[in-house]
Formats: sequence, structure tokens, C-alpha cells
Amino acid sequence: MSALLEKHIVELLQERDEKAISLLYEHYGDTLYGVAKKVVRDEELAQDVLQESFVKIWKKSDSYDASKAKLFTWLFRITRNTAIDKLRSVNTKTDKEIQMDVSDVYNLGVDSIKPEFMDVRENLDKIEEKYQIVLEALFFEGMTQQEASDELNIPLGTIKSRLKIGLRELKKIYGPSMMLALLLNLM
Amino acid sequence: MKEKIKIFLDSDLLEKYLLGTTNDQESLQVERYLAMYPEVRDTYNELQDNLEIYAKLHAIKTPDGLRNKIMARIKSENASRRKFFRYAIAASFAAIMFAGASYFLWNQNQSLQEENIIVNNKIETLKEDMRLELEDVRNQFIVLNNPQTKRYNVKGNNNAKDLKAVAYINPVKKLSYINVKKLPHISDNQSFQMWAEVNGEMINLGIIDEAAGKEKLLALPYADKAVSYITIEQKGGNQTPTVENIVAKIDY
Repeated sequence: MSALLEKHIVELLQERDEKAISLLYEHYGDTLYGVAKKVVRDEELAQDVLQESFVKIWKKSDSYDASKAKLFTWLFRITRNTAIDKLRSVNTKTDKEIQMDVSDVYNLGVDSIKPEFMDVRENLDKIEEKYQIVLEALFFEGMTQQEASDELNIPLGTIKSRLKIGLRELKKIYGPSMMLALLLNLM
Repeated sequence: MKEKIKIFLDSDLLEKYLLGTTNDQESLQVERYLAMYPEVRDTYNELQDNLEIYAKLHAIKTPDGLRNKIMARIKSENASRRKFFRYAIAASFAAIMFAGASYFLWNQNQSLQEENIIVNNKIETLKEDMRLELEDVRNQFIVLNNPQTKRYNVKGNNNAKDLKAVAYINPVKKLSYINVKKLPHISDNQSFQMWAEVNGEMINLGIIDEAAGKEKLLALPYADKAVSYITIEQKGGNQTPTVENIVAKIDY
């Protein structure tokens, strides 16, 4: 997203103009929906999460501090935390009420992938799996590094380095031309 | 210094901060590093960019209708917020009204309290007056009713031949009264004044008013061998009697 548009949205948010939510949905809706879906692994739940997240974004718009985080980072935090909370509450309910395996309850619908992201997604598959696993565990599954280490049976130090490489060296994995294509796509 | 930054970057604090999973203390530490070291700031910005790219790789088209649902939720949030503000305004108004009413009532209470004090004082004064009056009446009754009371007819001297008064003296009860029945006519700028000489001291007993005094017994201070005088003085009375104007003298 261009810095100018981001600034405009932030201003609208601070003026409590509903147009801000409309613009945010337009520019980040798919990405945040993807984040929610990735965490809860269920379409209906992901829709609930996205709704709740946008309501939170709207309610908390006063608390956004541009000097502390970029707009997307803030949106991501809210959506991710909402999704993780949702997943926890559903899991406890399921555990308590019907003692059923989570995977039976969730309908694993087919992702409706935006065509423009198709090639990106193909490229995503090219990220070495070992980085992907760590990134997903930490970003989407709400695991701490220690939990990821236990869960994935990878030493904590390796988790740390893979996360760093996965995140900080993302550009290198993709290569400059890919990054450019991505950025143009996303703008 | 470089070592310190390296240790910080090697820890997962910055990544945790990126995801918003640091506690308050950790957040403060990260924000301190971000403010102090450009390298940390650069890394943080890079992490933020990468997070956005990485997240966008997972973008999925949102289902139709979700946008409308969300916008409707936001609208209803706003409506309830506006409702809240309306209630807040109403509550503020009510509070102001209440404060105003309280002040008004408090003020009224204050003035009522003051009035109450005044009324109480008046009642006290009245009670005291009544008590004195009653005592006087009781004494008059004693004097008039007591067989040991001596009755003296007082007549004016040559200066006031028409003056007639009756004095009642009771040496046992040590009470003395005088009833001035008639006063001679004097000019308008003069008045009769009553005096008593008790133990060598001249006491001013006040102006005698004919109209009021006819049926009234005027108490005289009692003393053995006291003398009372009636003098003609200038209107309003004098501090000391004018000896040449004595019109009557009562020995008792």
C-alpha cells in the first residue's frame, strides 16, 4: 500500500469516518481474511474473526500509534489475536461439550484464491518448507517459539534462526524481481 | 554497544513485539532499543515489511456479502456510540440540574436556618418579657393585696396642683409602686420624669406618660427611707433631675 493511502486511511480512522473501514476492507480484507483462515482453519469461523477484527479496529482506532507500528502490523496483530482467541474458545467448547476432534468439526472448504495471487502462491510453495513451517507456527498458530520448538521437535535455536532467515531474508528467497512483482501486485 | 544490539537482535523480542505478544515490560524494552539504535529500527521496519508480504501471500478472496455485514456492524456500533453520547449528554444535563437544585435547596436551607435563629431569639426575648411582666403583675398583686401595704396619696405642689398619684409601699415585702392618676397640663416641649433617691443615689425611673400611666402601677426601687420625686423636665427627659422643678415628693 502506498504511504499516502495509508496516511489517508489513518486520518479517516482518527476522524472516525466509516469510510476508513471501507478502504481498509478493500485493501487489506483479503489478506486479513487469509490470516484469519490460516489460524482458525475454517471458513465460517474466519468470517466471524474478520467481522470481530474490523469491529475491534474501529473501536480501537484511537489507540493506533503510527510511530510504533505500520498500519498493516497493527491490523495483523488485532486479526491474529482475535483469531487465536476464537480458536481457543471454540476448542475449549468442543473439548467440553462433545469431545470431538477439531478436524471433524471444521469444514475444510476450498480456498478461493485471488487470481492475481496465483503466481505468488506458487512461489510461496518454493519457500523452503523448513522456513514455512516455522513461520506458520509462529505467525498463524499462535505458538511461542518454545512451543513451536516442542511441537515441531526442532531445537529452539534453530527455530530462532529459521524465523530470522524466513522473515529477514524473505527478499533473498524471492529474489529482487519477484519482490518487485509482489510489491506492484500489492499496491 | 554493538554487542548489546547483537544480543538484542538475537533474542526473539523484536519478533514477539512485531506480533504484539510482548508483555508491558518487554514492550518498553523494545521501544527503548527502537528509539536508541537505528539498526534495530531498520530491522524492525524490515520485519514489518516482510510480515506484510508474507501475510499477503496467504490472501484469500473474502466471501461476497461479508463486506456489507461488516459495514452494517460498524454502523450499529456507531449508532450505539451516538446513543451513548446522547445518554452522556442527558446525564450531564441531569447532573447540572441536580447540582443547581442542590445549591438552590442548600441556599434556601441556609436562609431558613438563619430565620429560625431569629425567630428563636424573638421567642426567647418574648419569654423574658413575659416573665418580667408576670413578675411585675405578681408583685403588683402582692402589694395591692397585702394588709401591710401602706397607701399614700401624692399631690403636686404649687407648680402642679392638679397632679394626683397614689403610692403603695410594702416594707415587709420591700415593694413599692406608684399609680399616677392625673397629671397637670404642661407645654408640649416638657415631660414629667420620675426619680428615686435610694441610699443617697438618684435613680432615673423614666418619663411618666399620662395616657399610658393612668391604670398602670409603676414600680419604684425599694429602700428604707427612700424618696421619690416627680419633676418637670424638657421633652424626652434628663439625666439628672432639675431640683427647682420638683412637683411632687414621696417619702417612704
